[in-house]
Parts: sequence; structure tokens; C-alpha cells
Amino acid sequence: MSQDKIDVLQRALTREKAARKQAEKILENKAAELYEAKQNLEKSYIELEGLLNKTDSQLQGVFENIVDAYVIMDLFGNILKMNNPAINLLDFEDDKEDYNLLKIADPSELQRVSESFQTLLKKGTLTDFHLKIITKKNISKLVHINASIIYDDGIAVAAQGIVRDITEAKKAERQLIESENRLTTLIINLDSGILLEDENRKIILTNNKFCEFFKINTSPDLLKGQDGSNAAEQNKVLFKNPKTFITRINEILEKRTQVIGDELEMVSGKILLRDYIPIYENTVYKGHLWAYKDVTLRRNYRKSLEAQKQKYSNIIANMNLGLIEVDNHDKILMTNQSFSKMSGYLEHELIGKNAGSIFPVGQGSEIIKNESLKRQKGKSNSYEVKIRTKSGELKYWLVSGAPNYSLKGKIIGSIGIHLDITDLKNLELQKEQLLTKLEKSNDELQEYAHIVSHDLKSPLRSINALVSWIKEDNVGKLDDLSLQNFKLIDATLDKMEQLITDVLNYSSIGSNTGDMADVNLDEVITTLIQIMYKPEHIKVTILNKLPTLKGDKTKLQQLFQNLIGNAIKFINKKEGFVKIDVKDMPTHYQFSVADNGMGIEKKFHDKIFKIFHALNKSKESTGIGLSIVKKIIDLHEGEIWLESESNKGTTFFFTLKK
Amino acid sequence: MKALNILLIEDDMIEVMKLNRTISSLKLNHKIIEADNGEEALVILEKKDELPDIILLDLNMPKINGIEFLSILKKDSVLKYIPTIILTTSNNQKDLLECYKIGIAGYVLKPLKYEDYVSKIEKLLAYWSINELKQI
Repeated sequence: MSQDKIDVLQRALTREKAARKQAEKILENKAAELYEAKQNLEKSYIELEGLLNKTDSQLQGVFENIVDAYVIMDLFGNILKMNNPAINLLDFEDDKEDYNLLKIADPSELQRVSESFQTLLKKGTLTDFHLKIITKKNISKLVHINASIIYDDGIAVAAQGIVRDITEAKKAERQLIESENRLTTLIINLDSGILLEDENRKIILTNNKFCEFFKINTSPDLLKGQDGSNAAEQNKVLFKNPKTFITRINEILEKRTQVIGDELEMVSGKILLRDYIPIYENTVYKGHLWAYKDVTLRRNYRKSLEAQKQKYSNIIANMNLGLIEVDNHDKILMTNQSFSKMSGYLEHELIGKNAGSIFPVGQGSEIIKNESLKRQKGKSNSYEVKIRTKSGELKYWLVSGAPNYSLKGKIIGSIGIHLDITDLKNLELQKEQLLTKLEKSNDELQEYAHIVSHDLKSPLRSINALVSWIKEDNVGKLDDLSLQNFKLIDATLDKMEQLITDVLNYSSIGSNTGDMADVNLDEVITTLIQIMYKPEHIKVTILNKLPTLKGDKTKLQQLFQNLIGNAIKFINKKEGFVKIDVKDMPTHYQFSVADNGMGIEKKFHDKIFKIFHALNKSKESTGIGLSIVKKIIDLHEGEIWLESESNKGTTFFFTLKK
Repeated sequence: MKALNILLIEDDMIEVMKLNRTISSLKLNHKIIEADNGEEALVILEKKDELPDIILLDLNMPKINGIEFLSILKKDSVLKYIPTIILTTSNNQKDLLECYKIGIAGYVLKPLKYEDYVSKIEKLLAYWSINELKQI
């Protein structure tokens, strides 16, 4: 080994020695420091322990005195510790009870509870957890939970939580929401247009009606937050006066005092009524409410009502009928112009007077009294009354009265409408007089006919008697020709007598028509045929049973007698027949009398019913028979016509009312 | 057969002749008192001791007509008992009803033929001849 090497090794050793010495020295220092630190540590531990004890008891106090329920549980949910509010909340007897909190949760919540528990374990905290629980007393409650994990040396050992009963609060909150919803629905569907703006005219709320009024095609919700002044600017064209629409809004907004009932006329003819209500919160202006109401209909109603009223007032004032309104004591309350004209009294002369005592003449007062009693029972009526006008003229009025009701439906008087029927009444009286006169003159005429016929018949009797006497006194002295002539005188007298009888009959038909009764024609005509003169070769038959109808028995008999007699008279065949028949029609019976006589030419069909139109100047025929027939048929509201063929026969048809 | 005192009230001369001739031709002994009209008849009837048994009365007469005369007669306490028969050409129902209402003993229509007249009068007088009449 070389010196050098030894030297090097020696130097290195020396350096090592020195380094070790230095390290030992440091170590010594450190040990001393450590000791000192340990001393300090011990001291501070004791301090800390004291401090901890103090905090612990402080915490215990907080824990026990905390208002909210406080629960500590292990990680399986078993309750380790809880304070008094928790005992109350969960309906326990005391804090010594063993209980697993998971059992409290409402069965429907189990899923959420286990999920939340996982979250709690993972994150160490759980906040704002809402849970439905069922307490030991079986009461359902809603609770709010804030929970955290308790760690020991970094290992989760337990969980603690503050539980708050929010059942009532939640209920109240739900009620609030409900009532808010209701209010919103109400506003949305309100019949008025609503616009709520804040102090910067930002729209807070509006509703359907508002959108409808202003022709806004979006839902009211979408308008929230928009600028109300822009909307107004856009919508001003909808109004008849756009400029004032805007200036008025600005004016109102500047004053910020309530405005009710601004009327706005729209171009469409709609009339809106606008209210402005400023909203103050503790005297601070917070915005305002606009309310729009459509009053078009109401305004028009009022207009048409006024027009209607005007119309009726005009009618009342100008109508030609006198109008008078009285109270329940017949005191006049109102009259119109026409009534003044009719009565001669001015309105002020009549008001307050008793209507029933001013005008009537004779029975009038009594009539009016009775009629107004009827009206007070609620009956309308009309009656005639004779009155005297102011100038003393007698007039007839037709009064139509109706009770007048108050708004409550009570009768407060009556209203009478008066028509002057004096002219009409005079005409009626005149007519009555004429009728009486006519009746009288008819009677007189009838009487006259009888007297004339008597006066005409008397000379015939005298002639007959005288001729008889000449014959008696000259028996054997008269030649055949003279006797023949006397016979002709007798025949002429017979015809004259018949003529007078017929004329008298004809003139009697129109009189005394009051004897209409049920007439059994079958019976009457069968008897008639039996007693009538019939030549051997002529057969008279009734084909169908004749009906019973209302009529004058004597005249109906006369009718058939004339027709059957005529038929018999003009039969020129060896074998003759007269057939009587009847057909049932809706309102009438149609009769027929058919013969196989000589027939009547068509051109005479109308003529034969006229008086004195005998076609055959025979000694039996006076030409009045068919006129009498026609007159009797007229009297029974029927018609007569005929069908005839020359030399084959004639059928007379006639109808009589049922 | 009893002879009757007959008051004929008739304005027509030939009618009077007819009755007279009828009675004479039938050979009856009835006595006819003639009155031209109602007024004359009332004068005759004033003599209460010579009152007729029956009255034959025409209706159509001047001055007092038949019905008026009948009314006066029936209001008289004595004369109302005399049977009064109407003899007329009028078959006016109104007259007929009125006469029966006031009170008559018969209503005979004058026929057209004289023979019929004779026959009617014969029966009429025969009937009244066998009647009991009030003795006045």
C-alpha cells in the first residue's frame, strides 16, 4: 500500500470522525428539542383534554336544548341518541327506546330512503331531504331532514340528523299555491281584460280577455316580461283616436292616481271602459293594474232603450187615442194631448181630479166604478161610456183599460185608452133604428099583403055568388053557350083566387124565419105524397131514406109539394114516374126530383125560377111555384139547378144545409 | 030548431045579400040584424033588451075593424057572453091567433064558391041552433 493511499485513507477517516461527531452533536440537540416538544405536547394535551371536556358538555347542552329534533343513529338506522323534540316528533315514550328509523318511513318512501342513505354514506351529508313518515302513534307526517356522517379516525361510524316537522308548513304552502292557482285561473278567464305592469311598465300578468280585446294572438303567459309601452304603441291603431289613447295613458301614469271608467271607442265599434289602479307597497310605487271592460252591449242597450222610450213617448203624444193614467183612487195622474182634444179639458185642469166623476152621463159613473174595480183585481177590459165634454157635447168613448203595475208587481192604478166612437155609435144607433123601421115596414108590408089579398078575394066571392044566383034564378032559360061561358067565368075566378094565394105565400116566405127545428123529411114527404093528388098513371117514389135536417117544416113541405106537383103536372106519357132521391154531401144534402115529363128547354133553365115566368099558360099554373121553391131553398142556404132533355124528362137538383 | 037572432057585421053589400039568400033558400027562420061596421054594431048593442044570440063578424072593415070591435066587446061585462064567430076571407095566422086570444066562438073562412058558402053557413047555424045560450 502506498503512503499516498494511506494518507488518503487517514484523511478520510479523520473526516468521517469529524462528521460523526457533528452528527452526534445534532442528534443530541434534536433529542433535547424533542424532549422539550414532548413536554409541551403533554402540557397542551392536558389543556386540550380540558378543552374537549368543556366543549363536550357545551355540545350536550346544545344538543339537549336544540328546538329541532336531533337524532344520532348507527349506520343501520338504529337510534343511538335523540333529544326531546325528536321524542315528541316521532311520538316515542322516552329516549331509551330502541328503534330503527327505517321503520318510520312511509312504505311508499322506502326506495327513496335507501337511495338517500347511499348518498349520505358516499358524500357524508344529506340536505333538504323531504320524507313522509308514520309515527309510532300511526300519524302521518312530512319531515325535512339535514343529515351528516360522523367519522372516527376517518371511518364512518354513525349518522346524525336534524329533523323538522313541515307537515303544517307544507299544507299551508299547498293551500297558498292552490289559492294562487285559483286566482290565476280566475284572472285568466275574467270577463275583463287585465294588464298588470310593474313600475317600469314590464308586463307582470295579463289574461285571455285582454289579448282578445287587443287582438294579440299569443297566450297571455308569453307576454310576461315584455314592455307594456311598446304594446300600447302597437295597439293604438285599434282605437278611433290613437293619439289620445297614448297621451291619456301617459297622463294617467304620470299622476299615478286611480282612474275609473275611462271610455274608449274602438275602430270596430266596440266600446271599452278602462280602470287604472296604481299599486303601492308601503308608499313605494310598485306598478299598476289596467282593467278593460266591454260595455258595447250595455251602451247599445241604453241607447236603444232611450230610442225605444222616445218612440213610445212620441206615439203616446201623437196618437189619435186619448190616454189617461189614474191611481187606485181614480185620481188622474197623466193625460196626453189627444185626450185633451177629445175631452176639451187641458191636462192641468184634469190632473188630481177624479176621472169617474168629471165626464160620464147617466149610468156612466156606475160603469166606470165597476170597471175600475175589475182592473184592481188585475183584469184588462174594454167598455163603452157616454160622456159630456167640457163644452157640453155628448160623446161616446170606447175605453180600453189595463191595470198599471209598479216594478214590484203591485197594482198602482190603471191606464185607459180612449177612442171617440161617437160617429160609429151614431151610425150604430141609426142602423138599429133602421132595422126596427125595416122590421116594422116588413110587418106592415106583410099586413098589407093580407089586406090586399082579402080585398082582391072579396070581389071574386061576390062575382061567384052573383053568377050562381043568375044561374039559379034562370034555370032552364039559359042556352048551352051561356052555361059554357058561366063555367069559364068560374074557372077564371079559380085561377084568380090561386094567383092571389100564391102571391101571398111568396111574400110570406121571407117573414118569421124563427121556426127552424129538426124536420124528419122522410116522414113529412111520405105523408105529403099520400095526401097529394096523383093521377092513376103516375107513380111517385122515394128511392133512399130522406134525412132529418134543421129547417121550417111548413116551407120544406111547400118546397117538395111544388116540385112534385110540377112534375106530375107536366107528365105527358102513358106511364109516368116521379122519383125523389137524396145524396149525403159534406155540409149539405143534395136532393133530386126526377120525372119523365115533357122536359124544359135549356134556354129557359134560368128563367123558370123568376116570378111570373110560367112556361105553360095552363089554368093551374100561376108562374109563382118555382119562385117559391127558389126562395125556400135560399132560406135554407142551398142551391137549385136542373138537368132536362126535351120530351124525356127533367131532374131538379137542390141542396139544403145540414 | 031554435030561431036565432044573428047580428051580421059586414060592410060588403053582396056578402049581406049572400047570408040573407042562404037563410031564405035554406028556409031557416033566423032573424038577421045588419050592421055596416063596428060603430054601427056598438050602437045596436047599446039596447041591452034586444041583444043578439050570436054575432057574425067580418075582420076587414073601415073605421073600427073586426079585431078592435072584438076587443071592445070582450071588455063589456054583458056583451062578452055573446058568441062571436069570425067570417072572413083572411087566413092570416096573426089575425087568427089574435082573435082566439081575445075570445071568439069560431073562425070561418069565406070560400070562393057560393055553394061551398051555403054549405058552411048551414052547418054553422045548425050548430048554434042546438047550443044553450045565456039568457040575457
